Amino acid sequence: MKRTIWTASMCLAVVFMVSQSAVAVSEAMRQEIYDVGTLKPTDSTLKVKVGEKAPEFTLKSLSGKDVSLSDYLGKKIVVLSFVPAAWTPVCSDQWPGYNIVQDVFEKNDAVILGITVDNIPTLHAWTLQMGKLWFPVLSDFWPHGAVAQQYGVLRTDGTAERAIFIIDKQGVIRYIDVHDINQRPPLEGIIQELEKIR
Amino acid sequence: MEKIPIRVFVVLVFILITTPAWAASGEEKDFTGPLKALKLIVPEDAAQRAYLGIEAKSGEISLNTIKADILVIEIFSMYCPHCQKHAPVANQFFAAIEKNKAARDRIRMIGIGVGNSPYEVGIFKEKYSPPFPLFDDRNSAVVNAFSGIVTPYYFILRLEEGKAFEVLYSKGGGYTDAEEFLGMIMDLTGIK
Repeated sequence: MKRTIWTASMCLAVVFMVSQSAVAVSEAMRQEIYDVGTLKPTDSTLKVKVGEKAPEFTLKSLSGKDVSLSDYLGKKIVVLSFVPAAWTPVCSDQWPGYNIVQDVFEKNDAVILGITVDNIPTLHAWTLQMGKLWFPVLSDFWPHGAVAQQYGVLRTDGTAERAIFIIDKQGVIRYIDVHDINQRPPLEGIIQELEKIR
Repeated sequence: MEKIPIRVFVVLVFILITTPAWAASGEEKDFTGPLKALKLIVPEDAAQRAYLGIEAKSGEISLNTIKADILVIEIFSMYCPHCQKHAPVANQFFAAIEKNKAARDRIRMIGIGVGNSPYEVGIFKEKYSPPFPLFDDRNSAVVNAFSGIVTPYYFILRLEEGKAFEVLYSKGGGYTDAEEFLGMIMDLTGIK
């Protein structure tokens, strides 16, 4: 009899605890994000300047295609959005904001190229939770951070800076914001710059 | 009557200790202090000021200057994909309040874009057309006070004009059924 009560109690305990953790759905979502804490605002030295020709690159995109900066030459203004790493707090809430303003970027004849130093499978899993992104997401994984290094935004820990480069249709850099890694660059800053160029 | 075996007693105590308080109440953290200190920019829209019973036409207000018995606050961000997905449900929830006479007379709802500039809140308004007033966080007051908050995050406050208010509910994450959420609030607040 005592054994039966003991077994029933344990089952009850397990069922109860499992049901309580299921209540906290948002807790589960929060647990997907790795909190890196507050980081040194910037940790690299720029290798390009406004007015210079943007260094050419080719990177593999999430769709499997190679994407080159020169693909957009004469066609679109390019906004390079480097973010430090997948599954980190600020980065996970940056591109989803850009994702709802496709019309604003298109109105300014601009496209975003999102770049991180993560590999394709990681980017696939990470961007799935953002919904379907309208802009290409590029992997600067191997040689590790080569494009970030080319632009001078590879940090000493191998992640990228949170940086925006705006490149006009002639391939000239018109705007650079190597932002404090702990904060998100305001959207209106980017849009205002695009409007100036357009 | 048979005594409760010691092992059963230990298990029951373990359950009580390991069950978080918010599991039953919906409460996660105590944000009463930051909510009391919070200042919001007075809306430019006269209709929104009228809805909230705000007499000032400019400057800042505290939450307890809003004229309502119950205030529902959704903390959101334009950048948060969960807030974007949840926006239509939040709109349905507001419609459910307005459809229910008892609720409409006593409950007010606002949204606050944590860390969002006026431009970013404007984008959210344009994309999701929330029918309730949205406030921006141009001075970063909200992002500083509620650092690390999960969005969307809901607060339900019982207000007494000009006095301290009571936080009845606070929880991260949205809800899927607007009517059910309103029912929960009406039960919680005793509105009939």
